[in-house]
This record gives sequence, structure tokens and C-alpha cells, in this order.
Amino acid sequence: MKMWKWSKLSTALLGVALFVSACGGGDNNDPAAGKSSSTNEPGATEKAWTGEIVVWDGPRWSDDKENKYHWIENKKAEFEKLHPGVTIKIVQTPWAEMEDKLNVSIAGGAWPDLVYNVSNRMASIKNIESGIVEPIDEFYTADELADFYPNALKEYEYEGKHYGVPVSTRVHSLLLNLEIFKQKGVEPPVDGKWTYDEFLEKMKQLTGGGVHGFSTYIMPSYYEAWPFLMMDGGRPLSDDLTQYTFDSPEAISGLQKFLDLKFVHEVALPDMGMSNVGDTYQAFAAQDKRLMAVQPWNSWAIASSQKEPYAMDLMVAEYPTGDSGKSISMGDVLGWVMLKQKDEGKKQMAMEFVKFLTTTEEIFITAKNYGVFPSRISSGEQRPFEANPQMERAQQIAENAMMVPRHTNWQKIDEAIQKELQLAVNGTKTAEQALKDARSQVESLLK
Amino acid sequence: MKTEMTAQEAGGRISSPASWLKTWKKIGPAYLFLLPKLLLFGLFTVLPVGWTFLLSFQEYEIFDSHWIGLRNYAEAFRNEIFTGALWNTFRYTIVTVPLSILTALIIASLVFPLGHRSQTFFRASFYLPVVTSTVIVAMVWRWIFNYRFGLLNHVVGIFGMQPVDWLGQTDLALWSLMLMNVLIPPGSGILLYLAAMGSVNPSLFEAARIDGASAFQIWRKITVPLLKPTTFYLLILSMIGAFQVFTEIVMMTGGGPGNATETVVHVIYKTGFRDFEYGMASAQSVILFIIIMFIAVFQYKMLGDEGVERHKKRRNK
Repeated sequence: MKMWKWSKLSTALLGVALFVSACGGGDNNDPAAGKSSSTNEPGATEKAWTGEIVVWDGPRWSDDKENKYHWIENKKAEFEKLHPGVTIKIVQTPWAEMEDKLNVSIAGGAWPDLVYNVSNRMASIKNIESGIVEPIDEFYTADELADFYPNALKEYEYEGKHYGVPVSTRVHSLLLNLEIFKQKGVEPPVDGKWTYDEFLEKMKQLTGGGVHGFSTYIMPSYYEAWPFLMMDGGRPLSDDLTQYTFDSPEAISGLQKFLDLKFVHEVALPDMGMSNVGDTYQAFAAQDKRLMAVQPWNSWAIASSQKEPYAMDLMVAEYPTGDSGKSISMGDVLGWVMLKQKDEGKKQMAMEFVKFLTTTEEIFITAKNYGVFPSRISSGEQRPFEANPQMERAQQIAENAMMVPRHTNWQKIDEAIQKELQLAVNGTKTAEQALKDARSQVESLLK
Repeated sequence: MKTEMTAQEAGGRISSPASWLKTWKKIGPAYLFLLPKLLLFGLFTVLPVGWTFLLSFQEYEIFDSHWIGLRNYAEAFRNEIFTGALWNTFRYTIVTVPLSILTALIIASLVFPLGHRSQTFFRASFYLPVVTSTVIVAMVWRWIFNYRFGLLNHVVGIFGMQPVDWLGQTDLALWSLMLMNVLIPPGSGILLYLAAMGSVNPSLFEAARIDGASAFQIWRKITVPLLKPTTFYLLILSMIGAFQVFTEIVMMTGGGPGNATETVVHVIYKTGFRDFEYGMASAQSVILFIIIMFIAVFQYKMLGDEGVERHKKRRNK
């Protein structure tokens, strides 16, 4: 009897809960949600769409009030003025939280309309295949698309369509603290170019007296060390992304040279590969503990290392060349992505806003102030880094940078490889063992 | 007690609408007061748990999920990273839980005889890590373990030894995390033990002293056995907490080097929120739930029943 009562009560509660959840608010991709009112019905095409567009963006450069969202807030105000009845809702989202928040919002079916895509997580093949990301081709002419650097645009391409508007490129390069070079009487590489042997020789000269030549870290989604692995011609996957190739003799040789910096030549910090991002940057840039002369970093660190509190006499150099004779660098492309829309009018207006944010002028402003490389050729031609030769050199590197392979399971593949690299760099496995052990994990993900 | 009896009486008498109404008048207000909490509990606990269970049998797609039976469970057990994480989590639990409880018991036993003011000071001090964000605590420990500037390597250096890469060595990383867990004072455990010690009849200690028992004998033969229900409670709670270890992993090692410090909840998090595999993440969560439940029931059978019953009998006498 008592059980019966409880089961009745539980059923009633579950019913109430379901009712309440069913009455819950709609999501952003629902055309009828909120105060949006589409006027895109037949016969009303002349009238512009009105309603709210939700935009997720992260912090950029500060204004004099330390507001890191001032640029997009100003653009929002200008756009709303041009389009009465349209409201842009900016959701301020720290970059570190962007991916998790987006994933949760997608799982809950309540995604934003526009999002700033970092490291191509949002315009991933997985998301494109799931139908979450909208293609943008119907809004751009071929001439308009031709103004984007091909390698930047390619990052948003899938099966002949483009799934985002590239804004900027980031790249990894070697940052040299020339103050340590001068102290040790070592000449920096001419034009920032060097072979592995020249690099090694200089690292040996720089090491001593509590300072090491080089260091970096190895973590999933971070590619600072990978150009060393690829300098002899090794590549993680085959060109058609169907085969694991990082255990080729070229890749093993590249990893071996990287490991030798630590274990044989002892020119790298003893904890190379195992330290985290923050600690590694501090060890390179903090005024009171500059423990190494050269470090590979993403391009954001160039601007950071040129101003207080980290200001130093800085030089940007290419990764050393190996047996392949080519200097390799890896990069990623940032840009705007529109998520699935049900309302055509809203879709057009959202894209209008994206175009408003990605004009030649706006991409130039973003590049100059935010320290990223423009994705538009016309913005690049305006030379945003004319007064900063180090950024210009990095921009040249960016133009030929390799991008992270765009495989549906790339994040898992990346993790499987990086975890094996960690075991190589902490001495648990040899270069060959580590790269060969990754094969079985990666192969199962490539199927 | 009165409410409980009324409800029991009512349970046997619901036979006619009149008696049902009479009963409702008696117990209805109680349920009404409970209703908001029950609704919230239903919405935010029962419903998600039920949904997780259902999801675990599906291949989740954002626009089209479909039923795949037990395939997620089978794949979870075939996944070496998940089974490795289970083993790491099990080792972490086995080592840290007994040591944390023992530490709490020893500290509480040392604090209990102190005066009121000193006791208050130590209670607050030992409880401080509990109210401090785990993220902050993990950051402090990251500095303690730092290869170049860390406190531990400074101490090691005093003895003329080479610095150790505490979090970077495959064999050492998990042990370092265990060390961190054990060295953080178990504030909640200390408070619970102190409260339990305060409720022990002082005449028992007095009688033991008259009989010539030493302080250690009193502690071992009287204090510790009488604290068994508290120990059992702490054991269950700490075990659940240890099986769910997550923040420390994210902040300190990210599961590395390799998969040396990968734990179950960290794997579930990555499967769900990085890979979008909600069906698989749900299956992994259900597996964790079943393991925790099984161990809790086992502990209850081995320690709980006997301990609680004995304690009750003693109290009744």
C-alpha cells in the first residue's frame, strides 16, 4: 500500500516535471522564440527581418576603459542603427570556456546564431556533417571569396561548400630572446632562417649558467613541437586522411632530433614537454626568471613579449629546416561561423552582420590591434604590421603554414598522438616506440 | 515521531474517500511543504539521471539519435583508455580514502582534548581547504610540485638530491596526486569526528582511566570503536568523492603523461563535452554509478550493518 502511494506520488511528480520542462523556453534557433518576428513569409519579402541575433564572442584588445569587448559592441551599435528592429545580443564568453559552453548549448539544442570559431572547433567536419553549421556560399560571390587567402578559406571548406568566414590566421614560430643571445655572444639566425644543425649549435652556445637554449610543452591541441617532428618530411596522416603516417622513418627521425635536444645534447630544460603553458611562458618571458633563449609560440605571444611586463629584445625566427629542406610551421584560422537557422530572413540578417564584421577595414583593424594575421588579401596588402617587422616575419610564415588535419575524429587522433609524445619526451618510450604505439589507436579512429 | 506514526496509521486505512480526505488533511500540508523541494529534486536530479540511463542505450546525434542496445557498454569496456581510467581511479580511491580518514581521526583525536578556543581555532584552520576552491588548491599544489621553482624540489635539494618531475613522470604522477589528496587536511572528516567525540559519554573514559588504561588504550579501545558509525559514513562519502575525482586532474595533469593519471570522470567529461558522444558518456556514467553503488552496498554489509547495530544495541542498553 505504502509502495503504491509512493509510486503514485512519483508518477505525479514526473508528470509535473515533464510538463514544466515541456513549458520551458524555446531555443535560439527556433524562429518563433523570444521576440523575433520573421517577415519572410511569401508576400512579405520586401520587408526586412526584425528580431534578435545572438552572438558569442570572446575578449579581444582593451580600450582605455579596459573593455575587451569594445570593438564588437561598437559594431553592434552601428549595425543596429543601420537595421532598425534588429537587436544584436553579444554574449561575452572567455575563450577558454567557449568550446565547452558551445558543446553544451548544442547538446541542449539552444545554440547561438553566430559564434567566433577558434582552432576550427565549431566548423569541424563532425559539426558540418551533423548539420549544425550553415554554409555561407549563397551570400558570397566568387570574387568576394577570391579576396581571402586560399589556405584560410580552405579551412572552412567541406565538399565544395564553405562553412564560415575566415577572419585571421595564427601561426607558430620561434621567439628568440636576443638579450640572452647578446649576453652569450651568439649571433641570431640570418633572416630568421636556420638548419637543424645550425639551430643545435646555437642552442649549445646558449646553454649554461642556469640558462638553457630551448624548451616547450606537449599537450593535446597544442602544436608547438610538431614542426620538429615534421622537419624531415614526416606527416601525421596521409593526404587523403585515411592512413596514419606519423611512424614513418622521417617522422621518427624528426622526433628523435627533438628528443636529442633534451636527452643527448642537454640544451633543453630537463622538464621540456611536461610543463604547462603558463609555466613555460613564464620561464621564457617573466623578467625575474628567464631560463631559456628560444621558444616556439603561437603568434599571440609576439605582441605579449614586446610589451610590459614581459618586454624583451625579441626576434621571430622560422623553425629549423631538416632533411626535407623546408621549414614547417603549423597554424589555425579563426573566423565567424553561423549555426543552423530555421528562418531564412534571420539567416540573411545574421550573415549581413558577419559581412559587416569582416570587411577589409575591420579585418585590418582586428589584425593590427589583436596581433593576428589577416585572412583577406586586401587587408594584408594594407600592411597592418608595417611598424612591427617581427610580426611581418610571422605573417610571412603564416602564409605558408600547414593547418591541423581536418578529420572528423581529429581531437581524438590528436590526443592519442600527443599522449604518446608525452611518454617519449619524459623518457618512458623511445621515439620509434611512441609513434608506432599511436598507430593502433589512430587507425581505429580513421575507420 | 508523531508525524511518522500518523502516516503509518494512515497507510493502512485508505479505504474510503472520507478516510482518504481525513488522512490528506493530516499529512497533506507536510507534502505541500515538501512539494517545491520534491519538484526541484525531480527536475534536476531524477529526470537527468533517468535521461542519462536512457541515453546510454542510444547513439546520440544532435538531430537523430537511435537505439543501439548495449553497444555503448560493450564499447566502453573495450576502450583501453576507459578501463585504464577505471584502474587508476580504483588505485586512487584505495590509497587516498583510508589515509584521509586515518588523518582525520588522528587530527580530531589530537584537537579534541584542547580547550574551547584552541579547538575552535584548529577547527577553522583545518576546515579552510574545504571552503577554498579546488581550483585554487590545485594551483597551489601545482606550484609545490613545480620542477624548477616548487617547494618539494627545494626540500629535495636541501638533502642534495636531484629535482624530481613529480607530475611529468609516468610512474610518479598518480602517486603525486594521491600525496596531494592525503596532505590536504580532510576538514569535513575532522569536524565530523570532533562532533562524534563530543557525544561520547565521558564516564566511559573516566572508568577506563580508573581501571588504569593508558591514553593510547583509551583511544584504541573506546574512542575508535565508538566512532565507527562516523567512520563508516566518512568511508562512503570519501569513496564516492574519490571515484569522482576530476578538478585536480584537469588542473594538474590533464590525464597525462600518456594516460597515467586519467580518471573515469575525466574520460566521461571528454567523451561527452569534447567528442559529443553523449550516449557513450552516459554509458560510462552508468558504469561508474553501478560501481560506486556496488562498493557502497558492500561496505554497508561489511561494516555498516554490524557497526550500526552494535552501536544501537549499546545505546539501548
